Amino acid sequence: MADAITVIFDIASFTSVMVLIVLGLGVIASMMGIFNFAHGELVLLGAYTVYLSASAGLGLWFGILAAPVAVGLLGVVMERLIIRRFYASPIIAMLGTYAIGLVIREIVRGLLGGNYVSIPEPISGAFTIGGINFSIWRTIIILATLSVLLASWWMLARTPIGLRIRGALENPMLARTCGISTTRLYSLTFAFGSALAGLAGALIVPLYQLSADIGIRFLVQAFLSVMLGGVGTFQGPVLGAGTVGVMASGLPWLVPPVLADPLVFLIALVIVKLRPQGFIAAGRS
Amino acid sequence: MKGKDTGDNMSATKLASGISRRGILSGAGALTAAGWIGSVTSGWLLRPAWAHAAGPIKMGIATDITGAIAAAGNSDWQVAQFTVERINKDGGIQGRPVELFLEDTASDPKVAVGNVRRLIQERRVDVVLGGITSAMRQAIKDPIVNRGRTLYIYPQLYEGQECTKGLFCTGPTPAQQCDKLIPYLIKTVGKKRFAMPSANYVWPQLLNKYARKMIEANGGEVVFEEYYPLDQPEYSATISKIKDGKVDCVFNTVIPPGLQPFMKQLYESGFQKDGGVVTCVYFDENTLNYLPAAEMDGLYSCLEYFHTVDDPFSKQLQEAYSKRFPNTKYLFTAGSAATGMYRGIKFYEAAVKETKGDLHRDAVAAAMDHAVIEHGPGGGAAMVPGHRHCKMNMYTAMSKINGDRPYYQIVDKANMVDPREC
Repeated sequence: MADAITVIFDIASFTSVMVLIVLGLGVIASMMGIFNFAHGELVLLGAYTVYLSASAGLGLWFGILAAPVAVGLLGVVMERLIIRRFYASPIIAMLGTYAIGLVIREIVRGLLGGNYVSIPEPISGAFTIGGINFSIWRTIIILATLSVLLASWWMLARTPIGLRIRGALENPMLARTCGISTTRLYSLTFAFGSALAGLAGALIVPLYQLSADIGIRFLVQAFLSVMLGGVGTFQGPVLGAGTVGVMASGLPWLVPPVLADPLVFLIALVIVKLRPQGFIAAGRS
Repeated sequence: MKGKDTGDNMSATKLASGISRRGILSGAGALTAAGWIGSVTSGWLLRPAWAHAAGPIKMGIATDITGAIAAAGNSDWQVAQFTVERINKDGGIQGRPVELFLEDTASDPKVAVGNVRRLIQERRVDVVLGGITSAMRQAIKDPIVNRGRTLYIYPQLYEGQECTKGLFCTGPTPAQQCDKLIPYLIKTVGKKRFAMPSANYVWPQLLNKYARKMIEANGGEVVFEEYYPLDQPEYSATISKIKDGKVDCVFNTVIPPGLQPFMKQLYESGFQKDGGVVTCVYFDENTLNYLPAAEMDGLYSCLEYFHTVDDPFSKQLQEAYSKRFPNTKYLFTAGSAATGMYRGIKFYEAAVKETKGDLHRDAVAAAMDHAVIEHGPGGGAAMVPGHRHCKMNMYTAMSKINGDRPYYQIVDKANMVDPREC
């Protein structure tokens, strides 16, 4: 029983990491039709913000709070300067964002001297319930993911701005006719997705070490999640991320770890074959 | 950024760009800072400040200035500059100065082959030193040694079994890293049940094969040996195996980026608190920053040099290096091939002294075969004749915490350990 709870906790904490990372990617892909290949680097910048804040003596918490703001603002700049020019051609946009990601990654690599830096958790250690140890930071990540999910859903489904975003998604032309500035909305959405990436980076960096490649290790799995869940809804990518997260952390219990990785892709491809539209097909289709 | 005259204010060397003038830099510091943009040009060179009628001895350095393992590559390049500058300051080798040529292997064997070929064909270097990963060595050894007919010195600790003629290895082998460490862990520390979590590539696989033999020969037992994708982010299944198997010593060969999540989950499981010991033979002073201090506490490593080794020459060397590269991010350590680079250059120097300046590959190789260096980081070293690997002192160290900074305390020293290769 105790073992089962540990397993469930471990799987839940990794799945939360996955969901947190995919959320921003999913929001941008679903709402704007842009596959942001620089997403991994936005996650990296979130992590790097925490490092900067810690080395400037401002502390880890300040860094974690500043990360979504800083990365969100950068998102606005990116959208205004570059992404905006590519809405008509998503494939070019993909390449463009890939280039942006490459530039960010290599600059950070230079700043870090190519090294790995360990970032401690703001609250480290574990708490015990019924003789079972739970890592405090992993618990915080699970809770943070749930709150972010809830808040994002509430914002998109229950607020006027969410209504406009959904309207612009469904029929941009009609939305513009109704006096909704879709350009501003797209800026906002991109900034929101970027901020989520920044937050994800800031929260997960204590679990991994800060290095220029912290983002790309999750990028492929994140895209798999979006594909699995289906583009066009808020829930789709989240469900996809949940599935990939559970598989990636659960399969090593059942098969040798080197097999687990390709198996995740194999299973995902089978699912995509059976449900080409993803778990939830809606929105743009 | 100034012109060529800036070299005059440097003591023994002058820097200039390889081919294009725009790359002329005002100092090695700038070169290092530019390390991550260096690959846009076609190589760098470090030119001696003085000349000799016969021309300089040309030394090629092929290392990873950019890409995933740029940190190690830049350390190697700095150590190469440092070592060659010292040689040139003392009058060069047989009266001839040494000129250094750098090519970036970019942590990518595909890129490396072309760049290395440039060292051989355009620069016509007399010897190539470099390569860090095994994949890199495999990729560049053929263009250098066979097609290029040039001497190649490989400086990194590695999995062994590299017996190519014309290729000399100056880093520690599995035998050197395990022969003393494993008996120490079993007999002195008293650990018997080993787990071998490993990154899935050639170094862990061959190192584990040797380590397993040593563990079993000394009365220990390997509970499990398991391989992971290099960037696996989640290890709960492994941690549970470690607990269920009552493992008391983790012989870790998981490398970054998988290293940090693995070590964190291991630490969170209370493994060390319950008396478990972690050992990891690539851990040097660089890796002290890779993990939080608490997770480093009590970890064992075994290398031919640590900064805390009590050896006057090593201390002097380290001080001189810090003076040459103040506040550098790229340390002079054993795990990143930097010490092997120093030894490689010094072995080459010893060999060319013996050939009286004859730089022909076969003549130098014949002299290299039994070359000896009196002093080096961690002590002297001697090539084992016929084996193209070197004997050196090996130190077992345990990491301890001073304040919140970890450091290595030397707990055991073995003199001139045999590499047992080839």
